[in-house]
Amino acid sequence: MEETKVQDAAKQEAADLSAQDQARKHKKAAKAAVSFIVMILLLAALFFAAVNIGSLKVSFSELLKGLFVEYNENVATIYDLRFPRIMISMLAGAAIAVSGVLFQAVLKNPLADPGIIGISSGASFAAVLITAFAPALFFFTPIFAFLGGVIAFALVYSLSWKGGLSPLRIILVGVAVNSMFTGLSSALNSMNGGNMSGVAAIVNGNITMKTWDDVKTLAPYVAVGLVLAIIFTGKCNLLALEDKTARSLGVNVNAVRIVISVIAVLLASISTAVAGVISFLGLIVPHIGRILVGSDHKVLVPFSALFGAFAFLLADTIGRTIASPYEVSASIIMSVVGGPFFIILLRRSKKYGK
Amino acid sequence: MENKDLQAIDDAVEKQAEVLVEQEMERQNGNGASDRAGEKPAMKVKDLYFSYGKNKVLKGVSLQIAAGKITTIMGANGCGKSTLFSLMTKNLYPRKGNIFLSGKNIQNLNLKEFAQQVAIVQQYNTASDDITVENLVAFGRTPHKKMMQGSSEEDERLIEWAMEVTNLTEYRNREVSRLSGGQRQRVWIAMALAQNTKILFLDEPTTYLDIRYQIEILQLVQKLNREYGITIIMVLHDINQAITYSDYVIGLKDGQVLVEGDPEEVITAESIRELYGIELGVTKVDGRKFVLAV
Repeated sequence: MEETKVQDAAKQEAADLSAQDQARKHKKAAKAAVSFIVMILLLAALFFAAVNIGSLKVSFSELLKGLFVEYNENVATIYDLRFPRIMISMLAGAAIAVSGVLFQAVLKNPLADPGIIGISSGASFAAVLITAFAPALFFFTPIFAFLGGVIAFALVYSLSWKGGLSPLRIILVGVAVNSMFTGLSSALNSMNGGNMSGVAAIVNGNITMKTWDDVKTLAPYVAVGLVLAIIFTGKCNLLALEDKTARSLGVNVNAVRIVISVIAVLLASISTAVAGVISFLGLIVPHIGRILVGSDHKVLVPFSALFGAFAFLLADTIGRTIASPYEVSASIIMSVVGGPFFIILLRRSKKYGK
Repeated sequence: MENKDLQAIDDAVEKQAEVLVEQEMERQNGNGASDRAGEKPAMKVKDLYFSYGKNKVLKGVSLQIAAGKITTIMGANGCGKSTLFSLMTKNLYPRKGNIFLSGKNIQNLNLKEFAQQVAIVQQYNTASDDITVENLVAFGRTPHKKMMQGSSEEDERLIEWAMEVTNLTEYRNREVSRLSGGQRQRVWIAMALAQNTKILFLDEPTTYLDIRYQIEILQLVQKLNREYGITIIMVLHDINQAITYSDYVIGLKDGQVLVEGDPEEVITAESIRELYGIELGVTKVDGRKFVLAV
């Protein structure tokens, strides 16, 4: 009699816990869904605000009318001057944030960021080389930037490999590779008199003078990169397991690592070639993303793309209003905000802050 | 004209198939003769050599894993058992010698094909903080899926089954990081079970666990073998657990098989002295053998 009571109590407790688990799961799913909706609304609102911030202003109906129905001088000017910049901000933001997610999965390191570990500066150095010495090949800048990014990544990966990848060693080696390429770019700029606008634009992340042509250069690469990233989200999830365990599930871990790294380098390099070196974006966005929607890459990658687009556009919009008529580039805003954030992450993290 | 050609090709293919079938039968018969009466081994290791640089770890290991049995590999630290385990699970490649899985050299199987037939529970495991039991167990279906493929009814059924067998169904929605050590180990076993293989490897499945969970895991392993006919190959440190839960033990020393057979027979004071280099008493309680490992 007594025994069955105890058993019943245990069963009841198990059922309660199970119900609690289910409630938790639903709550998390709801949180993720709300985060997505809010992010889409915020992005749309910011887009409209960014269109309207500046000396020219149009109402929402004027904007729609001017774009799709009949010619409106103000709308046309905005379309030619502000739209490319807004599009580039969003595309580059999405690309860099997703690139960060992928690097973090491949390197098993939540602190990996294409800016911090030198991928972006490798890409920018290659782009600067082309601008300085072979301007005729300007059209192929993204390809060269990609090669530069691949070289930087190969350097970081091979130099931090010591019977395994220590998270902190990757960051340290990355910082060194980063400063080397940044130094090379600056040296090249100085040797040429220090006034090559193209070089400065890449190094400082200046996107003031961007045109629709730049959007057309960036968009297809980013689209391809994002689609590939989404295809490989399942594999990113498997990389969270120990390598041996992933292998025992029939996954060729090394091959998967290489493929995902190439996608990540592609996304980071192309956006660097057009929008310049942006640090910390690929770190902050995925980190907050994990808190909001969890670490399942099938959800985290699309969310980070949206959030990245939002964050970059926000930084750019703030940058051009904060000290108008002067502009502070989005990359500088990101550094100012991202630096302290990175330090907070380092200090709060139990695993990496030792 | 075309028909004639096709006919010729058909004939040739048929002839070749006949030859292959004959060869296969011959090979199987040949194997059968050398095996124990009628039993076909699940795996076969032939003259295996391996070294890390100049350090020779395995020096000609040959053994057979009986289908439907629990085989335990044991030996002192550095005897080569982990290396043997890694070689048999395709985490290392032999310098010399071969490993066969139901007659096929595992070197000729890619990782996915291998994972469709052999599941492995590694000693050390990590998962992301917020993954739930059910989602982690579902990873076990990976080797049976093509890229981007969703989950089929078969997948769902096997995931449910794996959670049920390991008593995890009520924890399905809980994050793995919130489970106890014993429960977590059961999740990794469940993931391997979802692979739906006839062979299951476990590398020291009881390390990091206190005694209650150790017994619980070993009883689970025994149940998998007895009730579902899964061939078990594991590495264990505890000699008494090896005696109690294995049908067959393989004792390695200095990269060679020193003893093998029924644990009740081959585990003696002498074999323990040779395997581990220590004098331990061996006694019998209720007809079962125990090593006084203190």
